[in-house]
Amino acid sequence: MPSFYQLLKKIIQTGIGRSRLIMAAGGLGIAMILLLIAIQAHTDFDQLLHNQRNANESADFLVINKKITNAMMGQNAKSEFTPAEITDLQKQPFTEAFGFITSNQYKVTAAAPGDLHFYTDMFFESVPDSFIDVKNEEWKWTPSDNTIPIILPNDFLNLYNFGFALSQGLPQVSQETIKALPMKVTISQGLMTQEFTGRIVGFSDRITSFLVPNSFMDWANSKFGSGQAASPSRVIIKTKDPSNPVLAKYLEDKGYTTNQDKIKYSKTKLIVQTIVSVIGFFGLILLVFALLVFSMFIQLVIASCKKEIQLLVTLGTAPRQLQRYLMRQFVPLYITIGIAALLLVAALQWWASAKLAEHDMFIAQWLAVGTACAALLVLVLVYIVNRVNVRKYINAIS
Amino acid sequence: MQIQLDNLVPVPLRDKILQRSSEIWNRPVTFTPGSFTKIKAPSGTGKTTLVHYLYHIRTDYTGQVLVNSKPWGTYSKDAIAGMRQEQVSVIFQDLRIFEQLTALENIELKRVMNAQPYCSAEKVKEMAARLNVTHVLNQSGRTLSYGERQRVAIIRALVQPFQWLIMDEPFSHLDEDNANRAAQLIGEECKARKAGFILTDLDNDTRFAYDSHYNL
Repeated sequence: MPSFYQLLKKIIQTGIGRSRLIMAAGGLGIAMILLLIAIQAHTDFDQLLHNQRNANESADFLVINKKITNAMMGQNAKSEFTPAEITDLQKQPFTEAFGFITSNQYKVTAAAPGDLHFYTDMFFESVPDSFIDVKNEEWKWTPSDNTIPIILPNDFLNLYNFGFALSQGLPQVSQETIKALPMKVTISQGLMTQEFTGRIVGFSDRITSFLVPNSFMDWANSKFGSGQAASPSRVIIKTKDPSNPVLAKYLEDKGYTTNQDKIKYSKTKLIVQTIVSVIGFFGLILLVFALLVFSMFIQLVIASCKKEIQLLVTLGTAPRQLQRYLMRQFVPLYITIGIAALLLVAALQWWASAKLAEHDMFIAQWLAVGTACAALLVLVLVYIVNRVNVRKYINAIS
Repeated sequence: MQIQLDNLVPVPLRDKILQRSSEIWNRPVTFTPGSFTKIKAPSGTGKTTLVHYLYHIRTDYTGQVLVNSKPWGTYSKDAIAGMRQEQVSVIFQDLRIFEQLTALENIELKRVMNAQPYCSAEKVKEMAARLNVTHVLNQSGRTLSYGERQRVAIIRALVQPFQWLIMDEPFSHLDEDNANRAAQLIGEECKARKAGFILTDLDNDTRFAYDSHYNL
């Protein structure tokens, strides 16, 4: 014996709006694919940036200073950060950790040992130890030590070796050689002088400066300096994502600069985000149209079976039973479309992952959880909208 | 389930009805539950209209049709559907058979509309045999004669539980023999449910032991 729904199927023919149904289903499918691609692409790009640039670290460090303009020249105080500016920078969402770069308030000269005849004025800076990428046993100083550990920027050594030494006919030196050379460092203020042995203990890629331990800087500044803590003109922050467009915009708005190379991805990211948003936007528009066509289809089916539905209701069929029957006709279609769209995007992701891997760029082979959730969300939305429509049109004629 | 009429007057027949006296229109009427009620009505007095009002598929009247002391209009659509599945059944004069279904499917539709069917499929076969329509059960509704349609409509009305059965000239297309068989079946089914019926017809008849008679 046929069931109630099987009998209803013979009475309420849903075949009448076939072309409309195909349009609606097609629209829903394309809308869903666009939306899912947008969400997946967003996740992938994030992943790409992280993997590629920070293979080992999950954070990056930026040294920030004010841009020196012609108007500021000669007024050193204008390049210093005010306490208000510092508090503001500290509370930005992208700032994970914050440190001052402290400058020396005394004169520093360095001389090479033996008969190398090398003598120069120089400067020191210091940052909190947690911001330094050179991990070294020798990186410590107490007032009883006569030897100051120093970290040089890698760029400085390269400049010397490949720029200066080659053109001036001087010998190129290796990192090991430099580390083995003790330097005579003299710090002075007025008549007070003190001599130290400077020893290079490492080379930093992160901070372009001559670094000494914080403890030495504090001691020397209090002994040789003015005694007042000077406002810093350079600060260092730790941030998860230096390509964050918000960070780039903040720096630009405030007139700060940093190593531009580190934030260059923010432009790429902005462009990708725009493209992804546009795709997502079209997906949404298409989804709205698909819902409209679905609604027209439902209206057509119900209108074309108006007499039959009225007789069914007369015989005692509850509007709720009819709604449930009609939704049963549509739901498998949505689920099929949803699964098809997910499978397609998953295939695309798998293919893209393989293609990108050839270029040493790694993204997940599988769909992101967010993408699957979005697919589910769209299906729920379609279900609710269609249910409301079915109820509305059934109630209108019963 | 109690059915009462409260000064019911159909709007289209208003002038005609107010000129003459009626035992139904424009007066309070209470149909006693479980009673066999005959309403005799000459053509054009609003017989089918009354049936439609009682079953609540037309509402162009003044006055009220009260079901359990509440007007039909106060019940929700789903509540009305529930009552049509459980408490009140109907045989229309125009029969209202789905032409795209077979005779048996028409009956089945009504039987399995209730989540818990009241009677078994065998019972349907048995009733079909009693009304001599077994041979047309698998025939499309489109090809059935009026007499066959009427008997299918009677069986369809009897497969559900009810307290009231409303019938509009239920034997109009049947010969004497088939009409008597149908009447006997209807009588038995009503007795089995302790249900009453309201039957409208053109003439007097003695097919049932009526408890009350009205002239429309």
